[in-house]
Amino acid sequence: MKEIVYKEIDGTSLKYWGLLAGLGAVILGALGSFYYMEHNGHVVTGMTNQIVWGMPHVFAIFLIVAASGALNIASIGSVFGKKLYKPLGRMSAILAIALLAGGLTVLLLDLGRPDRLIVAITTFNFKSIFAWNIILYTGFMGIVGVYLWMMMERKMNKYSTYAGYAAFVWRLILTTGTGSIFGFLVARQAYDAAIMAPMFVVMSFSFGLAIYMLVLFATFQWTDRPLGDVIVNRLKNLLGVFIAAVLYFTVVYHLTNLYATEHHPVESFILSGDTKFTTIFWWGQVIIGSLLPLALLYYPATAASRKWIAIACGLTIYGGFSQLYVILIGGQALPLAIFPEHNILESGFNDGVNGTTHAYTASNPEIILGLGGVAVSLIMVTFAFKILKFVPESLADEVADPHHK
Amino acid sequence: MTQLALVIDLNVCVGCHACVISCKEWNTSGNAGSLSDLHPYGKDPTGTFFNRVQTFEVGEFPKTETVHFPKSCLHCEDPPCVPVCPTGASYKREEDGIVLVDYDKCIGCKYCSWSCPYGARELDEKQKVMKKCTLCVDRIYDEALPESERKPACVMSCPPAARLFGDIHDPESDVSIAIREAGGYQLMPEWGTQPANHYLPRRKTRMTIHQDELVRADNPLNKEHYAEPEFDDPSLDDVTSW
Repeated sequence: MKEIVYKEIDGTSLKYWGLLAGLGAVILGALGSFYYMEHNGHVVTGMTNQIVWGMPHVFAIFLIVAASGALNIASIGSVFGKKLYKPLGRMSAILAIALLAGGLTVLLLDLGRPDRLIVAITTFNFKSIFAWNIILYTGFMGIVGVYLWMMMERKMNKYSTYAGYAAFVWRLILTTGTGSIFGFLVARQAYDAAIMAPMFVVMSFSFGLAIYMLVLFATFQWTDRPLGDVIVNRLKNLLGVFIAAVLYFTVVYHLTNLYATEHHPVESFILSGDTKFTTIFWWGQVIIGSLLPLALLYYPATAASRKWIAIACGLTIYGGFSQLYVILIGGQALPLAIFPEHNILESGFNDGVNGTTHAYTASNPEIILGLGGVAVSLIMVTFAFKILKFVPESLADEVADPHHK
Repeated sequence: MTQLALVIDLNVCVGCHACVISCKEWNTSGNAGSLSDLHPYGKDPTGTFFNRVQTFEVGEFPKTETVHFPKSCLHCEDPPCVPVCPTGASYKREEDGIVLVDYDKCIGCKYCSWSCPYGARELDEKQKVMKKCTLCVDRIYDEALPESERKPACVMSCPPAARLFGDIHDPESDVSIAIREAGGYQLMPEWGTQPANHYLPRRKTRMTIHQDELVRADNPLNKEHYAEPEFDDPSLDDVTSW
């Protein structure tokens, strides 16, 4: 294994500026959407008093969960001492910060009162898991920032392992906190499950790695830097394990719910209903988002092709969005069981009349705001790669592989 | 500790929505500002209400009954919406047990709405803060009002007086007596939230009525039998001796 040389990307090509301009345009669109929703109120979104969290939250939570997962690559190098992963650490840490920033941007701009950010970060109710998450998110930014500094500053390199440990523990707590937002919710049938926390941790492994791999592929291809098969294969196999682990947790979550009679309505609603949530669960999350990428990653003909691996990463991300959509929106779409077994004839709340479920269709501004969060993350990474030394000059096998002969 | 609450008699409620309207009227013009109303006369009217009515059916057709169920914040003694609030904007008052939202601290994250098992919280579409029933806290302590009117607007307006208001911790209060004597119950007590609001159940009044009880012997509305005498009929002079 040779010494790893990190170098800024040139960032002078038309393609680079085109990428920045494209992402900037999406961010502008997102700001316009934010203004439109802020000015007109909740009523112009697809959200209601029954579906209170909508598409922006799907994007925000996806990015936040993926952020902690993206840091895994650095953790494998620092905490678990795998030398192959060490050169990937800087990109991992900056991507984690960028994804979190993108997610928080969406979350903040979708708050009813984003102008009260100062209240949110100065007035804490420590019994609230939501308040804990505010601390965990800001703490994550700080700790990963320090970790990154210790990885990049030669004099501080010796402490990077300790910072890596701290960041690893923090990220586990962070994703546990995000999962617990749902795990601690007792009022709705779809949640109130301790498995939510570890399931979100595993989801973060999968989503974060899929995004990381796409960023890695794109960066090395667009800057003509060599990327060896050893790293690609290692990451590919790891992604396969993570996708399978998410499926495992999903199966256990649903089996547990199926065992408890009180959760049968929500299970039949998600697993065998005639709504879009059933379609999104089976086709979006399970088949297209999990089984298909697993097949692509392990079938020899496609596993050897970077294009197919990249497609598998994209499908994993699609599966992740589908999963979060079903968890968030599907869980709210089933009306509260206030009058179990009774037919509601009329309701001032507009809910559950004659057994209907709550409808939600994401409005365009909501989707654009969510995409804006993705664009914020990507523009941060694109810009960071140009101004600081995050990207190794080469990850060819003879450079990166410690066992290369 | 005082725990103010509403007790709603489902046997008396006829689902007229007077409570909904009077609640909206009082609270939209109160100190806390208006409750938004969007497209009130349009295709999809939407707005913020503290109190709404759900109507559900009991039994199997044709032996069914319709129950009107007015629902607002139940002011739980252990409210699940309070601990989840990140800024502490949701709180329960020590002095009277009313659960309130501090509109100036609410950031509109809507997490309390997720955690309320009764669906009692609503985001105001214009002010973008979470709102809910306040038990007309700005009215019940208003000394400018006569004492008999220091009650929530919904209680004042209910035509058949299906809504009672008082301290459920005071065993001698009207609400405690009603709960005790008429079988008052909480909505979904299995959550352990101890809702302060109670509902009095539907009651059947059965009695046997016989046919003769339906006929009134001395009905004053009955017309007297009176026939105009014929021309040839004997007059009073003909039939009397004097």
